[in-house]
Amino acid sequence: MFSLETLQQTLSALGSTVWITLMLTLGAGIVSLIAGSISVSAQLGGGWVGLFASRAYVSVMRGTPLLVQLLVLSYGLPLLGIRVPPILAAILAIGLNSGAYTTEILRGGVLAIAPGQIEAAKMVGLSRFAIWRRVVLPQAMANSLPMLVAEFSIILKSTPLASIISVTEMTYAGVLIQARSFSSLDVFLPIAAAYVAIFYAFTMLAVWLDRQLAPMRG
Amino acid sequence: MDFAVLVPYLPQLALGLGRTTLIAAFAIATSLAAAALLTWGRMRGSAAIRRTIKVYTQLVLGLPILTLLYVVYFVLPSAGIRIDAFWAGILTLTLYYSPYMAEAVRGAILSIPHGQLQAGRMVGLAEGTILWRIVLPQAAGVALPALAGIAIGLTKDTAILSVISVQEFAYATKQVVSRTYAPFETWLAVAAAYWVLLSILDLGVRTLERRVNYYRPVRGVGR
Repeated sequence: MFSLETLQQTLSALGSTVWITLMLTLGAGIVSLIAGSISVSAQLGGGWVGLFASRAYVSVMRGTPLLVQLLVLSYGLPLLGIRVPPILAAILAIGLNSGAYTTEILRGGVLAIAPGQIEAAKMVGLSRFAIWRRVVLPQAMANSLPMLVAEFSIILKSTPLASIISVTEMTYAGVLIQARSFSSLDVFLPIAAAYVAIFYAFTMLAVWLDRQLAPMRG
Repeated sequence: MDFAVLVPYLPQLALGLGRTTLIAAFAIATSLAAAALLTWGRMRGSAAIRRTIKVYTQLVLGLPILTLLYVVYFVLPSAGIRIDAFWAGILTLTLYYSPYMAEAVRGAILSIPHGQLQAGRMVGLAEGTILWRIVLPQAAGVALPALAGIAIGLTKDTAILSVISVQEFAYATKQVVSRTYAPFETWLAVAAAYWVLLSILDLGVRTLERRVNYYRPVRGVGR
């Protein structure tokens, strides 16, 4: 049941696929931040059309399983004439899914900004767009940085689903080894440990950031 | 796009949706039961039990559910425990979601002011009566929004069980796709069905929330 050979295989597979997992996490994190920023802007400053679009986006993303979203996107993009490698489709799907949660996080961050700042910005003659881009959004992101990092670690935990559309990340690499060696404990234990380790690295980063930002929040 | 190809397969898809609903309901029940045990152990157990539960909670928080599913499905049989896909799925959902639920319940119980317990003891109520008549009814209202979010997450994650061939909605969809050769239309329609199912669940929970929190003077507490 336990063999040193399989363990070695697993560790070397982990060494090469951990980059895929991290790439998925980072890529999806960036997509999530962009989608969340656009969505929260539409929600708070886009009139009733923007509000409706943003609400619909959040509701659909939170109301359907990520697995289904992955498949809809990866079959839907080619229909639109867009051919992308599976890893890019996975980054897009996971990122757009997470963007719904980022919308809510950023909304909290925007609402925490003192109204006086926006009045002051209007006073000195900044345009609506400039106020949003220079005053509101940067502070909203700073306000919610710890929450955003926590969202990052949730993205990390979604990445194994990319294997559904044939991206070989850490978990799927384990499945492949398991299928060949019929050994399981020495395959899945190191992989599980790797996720927990990366997860807590992110968590510690979030806690550290929270402490760094505490004085600024006053 | 032609959704008409799906018409002959609607009964099959409906059956899958029904199974997903049952699996989710069953797993929510087992997770709540396990969460009650975890909460009890965390608040009343010995130091060793409290420590074990704490470590277990932190491990699960850091683990992707798909990875946990493979651990349960592949590692248990290698330890001589035979388990079929359905039970592996229920076990995984329970192992994964019960610590989240337990944290929500524990937080809610701790939010009940201590003075209420003291007052209960003063007027001579038994410890059990204080728990069941004073603490839990209020804690239920506090915990409900968090528990509802977790239950909705659990329901969405039942789709992941299709990778180990549990016969639920996503699995039925895969079978239909292999007949219709229309993956996009099929998955899009299925996404809509999931959305309706989860929206109904969400609406139901909000109604329940209002009923459980009826005694609160402030409107709009919760979500």
